[in-house]
Amino acid sequence: MDTIFREFGEAFSQQNGYQLSQTLTPQLPKDMLRVIWRSANHHDVKSVLRRGIQSSSSSLMNRLSREEVDGWVEVYYTYWKACEHLLAMEEGSSNSSWTKVYEAWKEMLNALHRGYTNYGFEAWTIPCIYVGAKNLRIFAIRADQQRNSSSAQENSGMSFQDDFDPESGKNQQLEDCARQLNRMFQLCLSDRAPLEESRKWGIYYVVNLLFKTYFKLNSASLSKNMLKSLTAGRGDMPGLSAFPKSQQVTFKYYEGVLHFLEENYVESEKHLTIAWNLCHKNAMRNKELILTYLIPCHLLTTHTLPTQQLLEPHPRLQKLFLPLCRSIKKGELHAFDIALQEAEDEFVKRRIYLTLERGRDIALRNLLRKVFLAGGFEPPKEDGAKPLRRTRIPVDEFVAAISLGSQQMLDPDEVECLLANMIYKNLMKGYIARERGIVVLSKSGAFPGTGV
Amino acid sequence: MASSSAQTAKKDDKAASEKQPEQATQQKTTAALEEDDEFEDFPVDDWTVEETEAASGGAGGETTTHLWEESWDDDDTSDDFSTQLKEELKKVEASKRR
Repeated sequence: MDTIFREFGEAFSQQNGYQLSQTLTPQLPKDMLRVIWRSANHHDVKSVLRRGIQSSSSSLMNRLSREEVDGWVEVYYTYWKACEHLLAMEEGSSNSSWTKVYEAWKEMLNALHRGYTNYGFEAWTIPCIYVGAKNLRIFAIRADQQRNSSSAQENSGMSFQDDFDPESGKNQQLEDCARQLNRMFQLCLSDRAPLEESRKWGIYYVVNLLFKTYFKLNSASLSKNMLKSLTAGRGDMPGLSAFPKSQQVTFKYYEGVLHFLEENYVESEKHLTIAWNLCHKNAMRNKELILTYLIPCHLLTTHTLPTQQLLEPHPRLQKLFLPLCRSIKKGELHAFDIALQEAEDEFVKRRIYLTLERGRDIALRNLLRKVFLAGGFEPPKEDGAKPLRRTRIPVDEFVAAISLGSQQMLDPDEVECLLANMIYKNLMKGYIARERGIVVLSKSGAFPGTGV
Repeated sequence: MASSSAQTAKKDDKAASEKQPEQATQQKTTAALEEDDEFEDFPVDDWTVEETEAASGGAGGETTTHLWEESWDDDDTSDDFSTQLKEELKKVEASKRR
Protein backbone atom coordinates (compact mmCIF):
# COMPACT_ATOMS: atom_id res chain seq x y z
CA MET A 1 0.00 0.00 0.00
CA ASP A 2 2.79 2.42 0.86
CA THR A 3 4.19 2.03 -2.63
CA ILE A 4 0.81 3.02 -4.00
CA PHE A 5 0.68 6.13 -1.83
CA ARG A 6 4.23 7.08 -2.78
CA GLU A 7 3.50 6.75 -6.48
CA PHE A 8 0.19 8.52 -6.03
CA GLY A 9 2.00 11.50 -4.54
CA GLU A 10 4.64 11.47 -7.24
CA ALA A 11 2.11 11.23 -10.03
CA PHE A 12 0.17 14.14 -8.58
CA SER A 13 3.20 16.31 -8.19
CA GLN A 14 4.07 15.78 -11.85
CA GLN A 15 0.48 15.53 -13.04
CA ASN A 16 1.47 12.32 -14.78
CA GLY A 17 -1.73 10.46 -15.60
CA TYR A 18 -0.01 7.32 -16.82
CA GLN A 19 2.02 6.96 -13.66
CA LEU A 20 -1.14 7.44 -11.62
CA SER A 21 -2.99 4.85 -13.68
CA GLN A 22 -0.26 2.34 -12.87
CA THR A 23 -1.25 2.45 -9.21
CA LEU A 24 -4.60 1.01 -10.27
CA THR A 25 -3.38 -1.86 -12.39
CA PRO A 26 -4.86 -5.28 -11.66
CA GLN A 27 -2.01 -7.02 -13.44
CA LEU A 28 0.12 -7.75 -10.42
CA PRO A 29 1.94 -10.85 -9.26
CA LYS A 30 0.16 -12.87 -6.62
CA ASP A 31 2.51 -11.68 -3.87
CA MET A 32 1.80 -8.05 -4.62
CA LEU A 33 -1.95 -8.64 -4.58
CA ARG A 34 -1.58 -10.35 -1.24
CA VAL A 35 0.50 -7.50 0.19
CA ILE A 36 -2.10 -4.96 -0.86
CA TRP A 37 -4.95 -7.06 0.46
CA ARG A 38 -3.26 -7.74 3.80
CA SER A 39 -2.25 -4.14 4.39
CA ALA A 40 -5.71 -3.29 5.65
CA ASN A 41 -8.89 -4.90 6.85
CA HIS A 42 -12.54 -4.15 6.28
CA HIS A 43 -12.83 -2.05 9.44
CA ASP A 44 -9.96 0.29 8.96
CA VAL A 45 -9.32 0.27 5.23
CA LYS A 46 -10.99 3.60 4.50
CA SER A 47 -9.14 5.43 7.24
CA VAL A 48 -5.85 3.83 6.16
CA LEU A 49 -6.50 5.03 2.64
CA ARG A 50 -7.51 8.49 3.74
CA ARG A 51 -4.39 8.93 5.85
CA GLY A 52 -2.19 7.62 3.06
CA ILE A 53 -3.68 9.85 0.40
CA GLN A 54 -3.65 12.93 2.59
CA SER A 55 -0.07 12.53 3.66
CA SER A 56 1.22 11.70 0.18
CA SER A 57 -0.48 14.76 -1.25
CA SER A 58 0.31 17.09 1.65
CA SER A 59 3.48 18.38 0.04
CA LEU A 60 1.75 19.29 -3.21
CA MET A 61 1.67 22.85 -4.48
CA ASN A 62 -2.04 22.77 -5.07
CA ARG A 63 -3.37 20.41 -2.45
CA LEU A 64 -6.18 18.07 -3.14
CA SER A 65 -9.58 19.40 -2.21
CA ARG A 66 -11.63 17.56 0.39
CA GLU A 67 -13.94 16.22 -2.31
CA GLU A 68 -11.03 14.94 -4.36
CA VAL A 69 -9.63 13.09 -1.38
CA ASP A 70 -13.06 11.55 -0.75
CA GLY A 71 -13.24 10.51 -4.38
CA TRP A 72 -9.82 8.88 -4.43
CA VAL A 73 -10.48 7.08 -1.14
CA GLU A 74 -13.53 5.52 -2.82
CA VAL A 75 -11.49 4.57 -5.88
CA TYR A 76 -8.73 2.86 -3.89
CA TYR A 77 -11.24 1.25 -1.56
CA THR A 78 -12.97 -0.43 -4.53
CA TYR A 79 -9.56 -1.26 -6.00
CA TRP A 80 -8.57 -2.91 -2.74
CA LYS A 81 -11.74 -4.99 -2.81
CA ALA A 82 -11.14 -6.00 -6.41
CA CYS A 83 -7.68 -7.16 -5.39
CA GLU A 84 -9.30 -9.54 -2.92
CA HIS A 85 -11.25 -11.23 -5.71
CA LEU A 86 -8.25 -11.27 -7.99
CA LEU A 87 -6.17 -12.89 -5.28
CA ALA A 88 -8.87 -15.49 -4.67
CA MET A 89 -8.85 -16.21 -8.39
CA GLU A 90 -5.07 -16.54 -8.45
CA GLU A 91 -5.12 -18.85 -5.47
CA GLY A 92 -7.83 -20.96 -7.04
CA SER A 93 -10.16 -20.51 -4.12
CA SER A 94 -13.43 -22.38 -4.57
CA ASN A 95 -15.48 -19.28 -3.96
CA SER A 96 -13.79 -17.29 -6.73
CA SER A 97 -14.87 -16.55 -10.26
CA TRP A 98 -14.12 -14.09 -13.02
CA THR A 99 -17.67 -12.86 -12.73
CA LYS A 100 -16.91 -11.75 -9.18
CA VAL A 101 -13.71 -10.09 -10.31
CA TYR A 102 -15.69 -8.39 -13.06
CA GLU A 103 -18.31 -7.06 -10.65
CA ALA A 104 -15.68 -5.81 -8.21
CA TRP A 105 -13.75 -4.12 -10.99
CA LYS A 106 -16.92 -2.51 -12.26
CA GLU A 107 -17.32 -0.92 -8.83
CA MET A 108 -13.84 0.52 -9.20
CA LEU A 109 -14.69 1.99 -12.59
CA ASN A 110 -17.91 3.43 -11.17
CA ALA A 111 -15.97 5.05 -8.35
CA LEU A 112 -13.73 6.65 -10.96
CA HIS A 113 -16.77 7.83 -12.89
CA ARG A 114 -18.18 9.44 -9.76
CA GLY A 115 -14.79 11.00 -9.19
CA TYR A 116 -15.15 12.97 -12.41
CA THR A 117 -18.83 13.81 -12.03
CA ASN A 118 -19.02 14.53 -8.26
CA TYR A 119 -15.55 14.93 -6.82
CA GLY A 120 -13.82 17.16 -9.33
CA PHE A 121 -11.12 14.81 -10.62
CA GLU A 122 -8.89 16.61 -13.09
CA ALA A 123 -8.65 15.64 -16.75
CA TRP A 124 -4.96 14.68 -16.64
CA THR A 125 -5.91 11.68 -14.51
CA ILE A 126 -7.91 10.20 -17.42
CA PRO A 127 -5.44 7.31 -18.03
CA CYS A 128 -6.99 5.80 -14.89
CA ILE A 129 -10.13 5.36 -16.96
CA TYR A 130 -7.99 3.61 -19.61
CA VAL A 131 -6.68 1.08 -17.11
CA GLY A 132 -10.12 0.62 -15.64
CA ALA A 133 -11.97 0.25 -18.93
CA LYS A 134 -9.38 -1.90 -20.64
CA ASN A 135 -9.28 -4.42 -17.83
CA LEU A 136 -13.03 -4.43 -17.36
CA ARG A 137 -13.29 -5.72 -20.89
CA ILE A 138 -10.67 -8.39 -20.27
CA PHE A 139 -12.49 -9.56 -17.14
CA ALA A 140 -15.84 -9.55 -18.96
CA ILE A 141 -14.48 -11.81 -21.68
CA ARG A 142 -12.98 -14.17 -19.12
CA ALA A 143 -16.19 -14.22 -17.08
CA ASP A 144 -18.23 -15.12 -20.14
CA GLN A 145 -15.79 -17.84 -21.12
CA GLN A 146 -15.70 -19.29 -17.66
CA ARG A 147 -19.47 -19.35 -17.37
CA ASN A 148 -19.95 -20.79 -20.84
CA SER A 149 -17.43 -23.55 -20.38
CA SER A 150 -18.83 -24.56 -17.00
CA SER A 151 -22.41 -24.48 -18.20
CA ALA A 152 -21.37 -26.49 -21.24
CA GLN A 153 -20.01 -29.15 -18.89
CA GLU A 154 -23.16 -29.19 -16.82
CA ASN A 155 -25.38 -29.39 -19.85
CA SER A 156 -23.31 -31.83 -21.84
CA GLY A 157 -25.66 -34.37 -23.29
CA MET A 158 -28.56 -32.07 -22.73
CA SER A 159 -27.89 -29.51 -25.39
CA PHE A 160 -26.88 -30.16 -28.97
CA GLN A 161 -25.94 -26.63 -29.77
CA ASP A 162 -22.36 -26.05 -30.63
CA ASP A 163 -20.26 -23.23 -29.27
CA PHE A 164 -20.78 -20.93 -32.22
CA ASP A 165 -24.50 -20.73 -31.84
CA PRO A 166 -25.57 -17.31 -30.72
CA GLU A 167 -27.13 -18.33 -27.44
CA SER A 168 -28.79 -15.67 -25.44
CA GLY A 169 -26.75 -14.65 -22.44
CA LYS A 170 -23.56 -16.07 -23.85
CA ASN A 171 -22.00 -12.63 -23.83
CA GLN A 172 -23.83 -11.40 -20.78
CA GLN A 173 -20.82 -9.80 -19.10
CA LEU A 174 -19.42 -8.35 -22.27
CA GLU A 175 -22.75 -6.74 -23.06
CA ASP A 176 -22.79 -5.22 -19.63
CA CYS A 177 -19.22 -4.11 -20.16
CA ALA A 178 -20.26 -2.37 -23.38
CA ARG A 179 -22.81 -0.37 -21.39
CA GLN A 180 -20.17 0.61 -18.83
CA LEU A 181 -17.73 1.63 -21.55
CA ASN A 182 -20.46 3.67 -23.17
CA ARG A 183 -20.89 5.58 -19.91
CA MET A 184 -17.18 6.36 -19.99
CA PHE A 185 -17.58 7.50 -23.60
CA GLN A 186 -20.34 9.90 -22.56
CA LEU A 187 -18.21 11.03 -19.63
CA CYS A 188 -15.45 12.10 -21.99
CA LEU A 189 -17.71 13.43 -24.71
CA SER A 190 -19.87 15.60 -22.47
CA ASP A 191 -17.01 17.47 -20.81
CA ARG A 192 -17.46 21.17 -21.40
CA ALA A 193 -14.18 22.27 -19.85
CA PRO A 194 -11.68 24.14 -22.04
CA LEU A 195 -9.77 21.79 -24.32
CA GLU A 196 -6.44 21.84 -22.51
CA GLU A 197 -8.06 20.44 -19.40
CA SER A 198 -10.80 18.44 -21.08
CA ARG A 199 -11.62 14.77 -20.73
CA LYS A 200 -12.16 14.82 -24.49
CA TRP A 201 -8.52 13.81 -24.75
CA GLY A 202 -9.60 10.43 -23.45
CA ILE A 203 -12.26 9.86 -26.01
CA TYR A 204 -10.48 7.90 -28.72
CA TYR A 205 -9.04 5.41 -26.28
CA VAL A 206 -12.54 4.64 -25.02
CA VAL A 207 -14.01 4.67 -28.53
CA ASN A 208 -11.46 2.11 -29.69
CA LEU A 209 -12.27 -0.15 -26.75
CA LEU A 210 -15.95 0.15 -27.63
CA PHE A 211 -15.22 -0.71 -31.25
CA LYS A 212 -13.44 -3.88 -30.17
CA THR A 213 -16.27 -4.76 -27.83
CA TYR A 214 -19.07 -4.11 -30.32
CA PHE A 215 -17.26 -6.10 -32.99
CA LYS A 216 -16.89 -9.01 -30.63
CA LEU A 217 -20.60 -8.76 -29.92
CA ASN A 218 -21.23 -8.64 -33.65
CA SER A 219 -23.02 -5.37 -33.35
CA ALA A 220 -21.81 -3.05 -36.06
CA SER A 221 -24.95 -0.92 -35.69
CA LEU A 222 -23.97 0.09 -32.16
CA SER A 223 -20.57 1.14 -33.49
CA LYS A 224 -22.39 3.22 -36.04
CA ASN A 225 -24.42 5.00 -33.38
CA MET A 226 -21.31 5.74 -31.39
CA LEU A 227 -19.61 7.10 -34.49
CA LYS A 228 -22.59 9.37 -35.07
CA SER A 229 -22.48 10.94 -31.62
CA LEU A 230 -18.73 11.28 -32.02
CA THR A 231 -19.16 13.11 -35.32
CA ALA A 232 -21.82 15.32 -33.78
CA GLY A 233 -19.44 16.33 -30.99
CA ARG A 234 -16.42 16.66 -33.23
CA GLY A 235 -16.75 20.41 -33.71
CA ASP A 236 -15.33 21.31 -30.32
CA MET A 237 -12.93 18.40 -30.09
CA PRO A 238 -9.21 18.17 -30.81
CA GLY A 239 -8.51 16.80 -34.30
CA LEU A 240 -7.73 13.10 -34.51
CA SER A 241 -4.18 13.88 -35.61
CA ALA A 242 -3.49 15.43 -32.19
CA PHE A 243 -3.92 12.02 -30.53
CA PRO A 244 -1.23 9.34 -30.18
CA LYS A 245 -0.75 7.33 -33.37
CA SER A 246 -1.75 4.07 -31.71
CA GLN A 247 -5.19 5.57 -31.14
CA GLN A 248 -5.37 7.10 -34.60
CA VAL A 249 -4.51 3.87 -36.39
CA THR A 250 -6.91 1.75 -34.35
CA PHE A 251 -9.71 4.23 -34.86
CA LYS A 252 -9.12 4.49 -38.61
CA TYR A 253 -9.00 0.71 -38.92
CA TYR A 254 -12.37 0.22 -37.29
CA GLU A 255 -13.90 3.16 -39.12
CA GLY A 256 -12.67 1.64 -42.38
CA VAL A 257 -13.99 -1.82 -41.58
CA LEU A 258 -17.38 -0.36 -40.66
CA HIS A 259 -17.67 1.31 -44.05
CA PHE A 260 -16.47 -1.91 -45.61
CA LEU A 261 -19.28 -3.88 -43.98
CA GLU A 262 -21.72 -1.35 -45.37
CA GLU A 263 -20.21 -1.92 -48.82
CA ASN A 264 -19.08 1.67 -48.94
CA TYR A 265 -15.71 0.75 -50.40
CA VAL A 266 -14.54 4.16 -51.53
CA GLU A 267 -14.94 5.57 -48.04
CA SER A 268 -13.51 2.43 -46.49
CA GLU A 269 -10.41 2.60 -48.66
CA LYS A 270 -9.80 6.16 -47.55
CA HIS A 271 -9.80 5.30 -43.84
CA LEU A 272 -7.86 2.08 -44.21
CA THR A 273 -5.19 3.82 -46.28
CA ILE A 274 -4.70 6.37 -43.51
CA ALA A 275 -4.47 3.54 -40.98
CA TRP A 276 -1.93 1.75 -43.18
CA ASN A 277 0.27 4.80 -43.66
CA LEU A 278 0.34 5.70 -39.98
CA CYS A 279 0.71 2.17 -38.68
CA HIS A 280 3.93 1.28 -36.89
CA LYS A 281 6.11 -0.49 -39.43
CA ASN A 282 6.80 -3.41 -37.10
CA ALA A 283 3.20 -4.09 -36.12
CA MET A 284 2.93 -7.04 -38.48
CA ARG A 285 -0.35 -8.47 -37.26
CA ASN A 286 -2.14 -5.14 -37.37
CA LYS A 287 -0.72 -4.42 -40.80
CA GLU A 288 -2.06 -7.76 -41.93
CA LEU A 289 -5.50 -6.92 -40.58
CA ILE A 290 -5.55 -3.58 -42.37
CA LEU A 291 -4.56 -5.22 -45.65
CA THR A 292 -7.17 -7.94 -45.26
CA TYR A 293 -9.78 -5.28 -45.92
CA LEU A 294 -7.72 -2.88 -47.98
CA ILE A 295 -7.00 -5.48 -50.67
CA PRO A 296 -10.67 -6.23 -51.45
CA CYS A 297 -11.33 -2.47 -51.42
CA HIS A 298 -8.68 -1.82 -54.01
CA LEU A 299 -10.00 -4.64 -56.16
CA LEU A 300 -13.43 -3.05 -56.34
CA THR A 301 -12.67 0.66 -56.33
CA THR A 302 -9.65 0.93 -58.61
CA HIS A 303 -9.47 -2.64 -59.94
CA THR A 304 -5.92 -2.94 -58.66
CA LEU A 305 -4.17 -5.86 -57.03
CA PRO A 306 -1.46 -6.00 -54.37
CA THR A 307 2.07 -6.25 -55.72
CA GLN A 308 4.47 -9.01 -54.83
CA GLN A 309 6.36 -6.47 -52.76
CA LEU A 310 3.33 -5.67 -50.66
CA LEU A 311 2.46 -9.27 -49.88
CA GLU A 312 5.98 -10.56 -49.46
CA PRO A 313 6.35 -9.98 -45.71
CA HIS A 314 2.96 -11.57 -44.99
CA PRO A 315 2.81 -15.32 -45.68
CA ARG A 316 -0.74 -15.54 -44.35
CA LEU A 317 -1.97 -12.92 -46.75
CA GLN A 318 -0.13 -14.59 -49.59
CA LYS A 319 -1.91 -17.81 -48.87
CA LEU A 320 -5.20 -15.99 -48.64
CA PHE A 321 -5.00 -13.74 -51.68
CA LEU A 322 -2.36 -14.93 -54.15
CA PRO A 323 -4.39 -17.65 -55.94
CA LEU A 324 -7.27 -15.25 -56.34
CA CYS A 325 -5.08 -12.43 -57.60
CA ARG A 326 -3.31 -14.65 -60.12
CA SER A 327 -6.55 -15.91 -61.60
CA ILE A 328 -7.94 -12.38 -61.86
CA LYS A 329 -4.82 -11.19 -63.59
CA LYS A 330 -4.94 -13.96 -66.13
CA GLY A 331 -8.67 -13.88 -66.58
CA GLU A 332 -9.05 -17.52 -65.63
CA LEU A 333 -12.59 -17.78 -64.37
CA HIS A 334 -12.32 -21.41 -63.41
CA ALA A 335 -9.20 -20.83 -61.34
CA PHE A 336 -10.94 -17.86 -59.75
CA ASP A 337 -13.93 -19.96 -58.69
CA ILE A 338 -11.67 -22.64 -57.25
CA ALA A 339 -9.58 -20.10 -55.34
CA LEU A 340 -12.71 -18.53 -53.91
CA GLN A 341 -14.13 -21.88 -52.95
CA GLU A 342 -10.97 -23.19 -51.35
CA ALA A 343 -10.59 -20.27 -49.00
CA GLU A 344 -14.31 -19.79 -48.51
CA ASP A 345 -14.33 -20.44 -44.76
CA GLU A 346 -11.50 -18.07 -44.17
CA PHE A 347 -13.05 -15.38 -46.37
CA VAL A 348 -16.45 -15.72 -44.71
CA LYS A 349 -14.88 -15.53 -41.27
CA ARG A 350 -13.16 -12.31 -42.23
CA ARG A 351 -16.35 -11.00 -43.81
CA ILE A 352 -14.71 -10.45 -47.18
CA TYR A 353 -16.24 -13.31 -49.17
CA LEU A 354 -19.05 -11.35 -50.79
CA THR A 355 -16.72 -8.52 -51.69
CA LEU A 356 -14.16 -10.80 -53.25
CA GLU A 357 -16.87 -12.62 -55.15
CA ARG A 358 -17.48 -9.39 -57.00
CA GLY A 359 -13.90 -9.60 -58.23
CA ARG A 360 -15.13 -12.21 -60.71
CA ASP A 361 -16.24 -9.31 -62.89
CA ILE A 362 -12.66 -8.13 -63.07
CA ALA A 363 -11.44 -11.59 -63.97
CA LEU A 364 -14.08 -11.75 -66.71
CA ARG A 365 -13.19 -8.27 -67.92
CA ASN A 366 -9.57 -9.33 -68.25
CA LEU A 367 -10.56 -12.42 -70.17
CA LEU A 368 -12.73 -10.47 -72.62
CA ARG A 369 -9.93 -7.97 -72.97
CA LYS A 370 -7.61 -10.77 -73.95
CA VAL A 371 -10.01 -11.82 -76.69
CA PHE A 372 -10.08 -8.25 -77.91
CA LEU A 373 -6.27 -8.04 -77.96
CA ALA A 374 -5.98 -11.41 -79.67
CA GLY A 375 -8.22 -10.05 -82.45
CA GLY A 376 -5.34 -7.89 -83.58
CA PHE A 377 -5.72 -4.98 -85.98
CA GLU A 378 -7.89 -4.16 -88.99
CA PRO A 379 -5.97 -3.90 -92.28
CA PRO A 380 -5.34 -0.18 -92.72
CA LYS A 381 -7.79 1.48 -95.08
CA GLU A 382 -5.26 3.93 -96.38
CA ASP A 383 -1.51 4.08 -96.19
CA GLY A 384 -0.03 5.70 -93.14
CA ALA A 385 -3.27 5.65 -91.19
CA LYS A 386 -3.06 4.68 -87.56
CA PRO A 387 -3.86 0.98 -87.29
CA LEU A 388 -7.19 0.31 -85.63
CA ARG A 389 -7.98 -2.69 -83.49
CA ARG A 390 -10.61 -5.03 -84.71
CA THR A 391 -13.71 -3.86 -82.89
CA ARG A 392 -16.28 -6.25 -84.36
CA ILE A 393 -15.92 -9.51 -82.54
CA PRO A 394 -18.13 -12.55 -83.09
CA VAL A 395 -20.00 -13.58 -79.96
CA ASP A 396 -18.73 -17.09 -80.67
CA GLU A 397 -15.20 -16.00 -79.83
CA PHE A 398 -16.34 -14.81 -76.44
CA VAL A 399 -18.29 -18.03 -75.97
CA ALA A 400 -15.14 -20.03 -76.68
CA ALA A 401 -13.03 -17.90 -74.35
CA ILE A 402 -15.46 -17.97 -71.45
CA SER A 403 -16.07 -21.68 -71.86
CA LEU A 404 -12.34 -22.23 -71.84
CA GLY A 405 -11.98 -20.03 -68.79
CA SER A 406 -14.78 -21.62 -66.84
CA GLN A 407 -14.06 -25.16 -68.08
CA GLN A 408 -17.62 -25.78 -69.11
CA MET A 409 -19.42 -25.22 -72.39
CA LEU A 410 -21.64 -22.20 -72.01
CA ASP A 411 -24.74 -21.34 -73.98
CA PRO A 412 -24.31 -18.32 -76.31
CA ASP A 413 -27.34 -16.71 -74.65
CA GLU A 414 -25.69 -16.98 -71.27
CA VAL A 415 -22.54 -15.43 -72.63
CA GLU A 416 -24.53 -12.59 -74.16
CA CYS A 417 -26.03 -12.03 -70.77
CA LEU A 418 -22.56 -11.83 -69.19
CA LEU A 419 -21.44 -9.43 -71.90
CA ALA A 420 -24.51 -7.24 -71.40
CA ASN A 421 -23.69 -7.11 -67.72
CA MET A 422 -20.14 -6.07 -68.44
CA ILE A 423 -21.43 -3.27 -70.65
CA TYR A 424 -23.93 -2.23 -68.01
CA LYS A 425 -21.21 -2.06 -65.37
CA ASN A 426 -19.11 0.04 -67.70
CA LEU A 427 -16.31 -2.50 -67.64
CA MET A 428 -16.66 -2.85 -71.40
CA LYS A 429 -17.93 -0.32 -73.95
CA GLY A 430 -19.93 -1.33 -76.96
CA TYR A 431 -23.13 -3.09 -77.95
CA ILE A 432 -24.28 -6.52 -79.01
CA ALA A 433 -25.64 -6.81 -82.54
CA ARG A 434 -27.72 -9.88 -81.91
CA GLU A 435 -29.04 -10.55 -85.42
CA ARG A 436 -25.46 -10.59 -86.77
CA GLY A 437 -24.04 -12.42 -83.78
CA ILE A 438 -21.26 -9.93 -83.18
CA VAL A 439 -20.20 -7.53 -80.49
CA VAL A 440 -19.29 -4.06 -81.67
CA LEU A 441 -16.82 -2.53 -79.28
CA SER A 442 -15.99 1.13 -78.87
CA LYS A 443 -13.11 2.31 -81.01
CA SER A 444 -11.93 4.60 -78.25
CA GLY A 445 -11.46 2.67 -75.06
CA ALA A 446 -13.34 -0.61 -75.36
CA PHE A 447 -12.22 -1.51 -71.85
CA PRO A 448 -12.23 1.74 -69.87
CA GLY A 449 -9.19 2.43 -67.79
CA THR A 450 -7.11 -0.42 -69.16
CA GLY A 451 -5.30 1.37 -71.94
CA VAL A 452 -7.24 -0.19 -74.85
CA MET B 1 -1.89 23.94 -26.08
CA ALA B 2 -0.69 21.85 -28.94
CA SER B 3 2.84 21.88 -27.60
CA SER B 4 1.74 20.88 -24.13
CA SER B 5 -0.15 17.94 -25.55
CA ALA B 6 2.94 16.95 -27.48
CA GLN B 7 4.90 16.97 -24.28
CA THR B 8 2.43 14.77 -22.46
CA ALA B 9 2.44 12.51 -25.48
CA LYS B 10 6.17 12.08 -25.09
CA LYS B 11 5.85 11.38 -21.43
CA ASP B 12 3.14 8.89 -22.25
CA ASP B 13 5.48 7.23 -24.64
CA LYS B 14 8.01 6.60 -21.89
CA ALA B 15 5.42 5.35 -19.49
CA ALA B 16 3.98 3.10 -22.16
CA SER B 17 7.31 1.53 -23.01
CA GLU B 18 7.84 0.75 -19.38
CA LYS B 19 4.56 -1.09 -19.38
CA GLN B 20 5.62 -3.14 -22.35
CA PRO B 21 6.59 -6.48 -20.79
CA GLU B 22 3.42 -6.53 -18.80
CA GLN B 23 1.31 -5.97 -21.85
CA ALA B 24 3.13 -8.62 -23.77
CA THR B 25 2.25 -11.33 -21.30
CA GLN B 26 -1.29 -10.14 -21.22
CA GLN B 27 -1.50 -10.24 -25.01
CA LYS B 28 -0.36 -13.81 -24.98
CA THR B 29 -3.16 -14.87 -22.70
CA THR B 30 -5.80 -13.08 -24.70
CA ALA B 31 -4.40 -14.52 -27.91
CA ALA B 32 -4.65 -17.98 -26.43
CA LEU B 33 -8.18 -17.33 -25.37
CA GLU B 34 -9.50 -16.00 -28.62
CA GLU B 35 -8.41 -16.45 -32.15
CA ASP B 36 -10.11 -13.67 -33.99
CA ASP B 37 -9.35 -10.60 -36.00
CA GLU B 38 -9.22 -8.11 -33.20
CA PHE B 39 -6.88 -5.22 -33.70
CA GLU B 40 -3.98 -5.65 -31.29
CA ASP B 41 -2.80 -3.12 -28.76
CA PHE B 42 0.36 -1.46 -29.93
CA PRO B 43 3.28 -1.98 -27.53
CA VAL B 44 3.89 1.76 -27.53
CA ASP B 45 1.45 4.59 -27.45
CA ASP B 46 2.94 6.86 -30.06
CA TRP B 47 5.77 6.86 -32.57
CA THR B 48 7.60 9.16 -34.92
CA VAL B 49 6.78 9.72 -38.56
CA GLU B 50 9.97 7.82 -39.44
CA GLU B 51 8.59 4.73 -37.81
CA THR B 52 5.35 4.71 -39.75
CA GLU B 53 4.64 2.33 -42.58
CA ALA B 54 4.41 5.20 -45.06
CA ALA B 55 7.96 6.34 -44.27
CA SER B 56 9.46 2.86 -44.17
CA GLY B 57 8.18 2.25 -47.70
CA GLY B 58 11.15 4.24 -48.98
CA ALA B 59 10.75 7.46 -50.93
CA GLY B 60 7.96 8.70 -48.72
CA GLY B 61 4.85 10.40 -49.98
CA GLU B 62 4.11 8.47 -53.13
CA THR B 63 4.83 5.15 -51.51
CA THR B 64 1.51 3.49 -52.13
CA THR B 65 2.03 3.49 -55.89
CA HIS B 66 4.37 0.54 -56.05
CA LEU B 67 2.23 -1.46 -53.66
CA TRP B 68 -0.66 -1.80 -56.08
CA GLU B 69 -0.61 -2.90 -59.66
CA GLU B 70 -3.11 -3.10 -62.48
CA SER B 71 -5.29 -6.15 -62.46
CA TRP B 72 -4.47 -7.25 -66.01
CA ASP B 73 -1.30 -8.59 -67.39
CA ASP B 74 -0.18 -7.62 -70.87
CA ASP B 75 3.40 -8.84 -70.73
CA ASP B 76 2.57 -12.40 -70.06
CA THR B 77 0.96 -13.54 -73.30
CA SER B 78 2.99 -16.69 -73.62
CA ASP B 79 1.54 -18.55 -70.62
CA ASP B 80 -0.43 -21.72 -71.10
CA PHE B 81 -3.80 -20.16 -70.77
CA SER B 82 -3.14 -17.44 -73.33
CA THR B 83 -1.80 -19.93 -75.86
CA GLN B 84 -4.79 -22.13 -75.32
CA LEU B 85 -7.07 -19.18 -75.76
CA LYS B 86 -5.44 -18.19 -79.02
CA GLU B 87 -5.80 -21.70 -80.40
CA GLU B 88 -9.40 -21.78 -79.34
CA LEU B 89 -10.07 -18.49 -81.09
CA LYS B 90 -8.37 -19.74 -84.24
CA LYS B 91 -10.69 -22.74 -84.22
CA VAL B 92 -13.70 -20.49 -83.97
CA GLU B 93 -12.47 -18.45 -86.88
CA ALA B 94 -11.78 -21.53 -88.96
CA SER B 95 -15.26 -22.88 -88.40
CA LYS B 96 -16.66 -19.51 -89.49
CA ARG B 97 -14.79 -19.65 -92.80
CA ARG B 98 -16.04 -23.08 -93.67
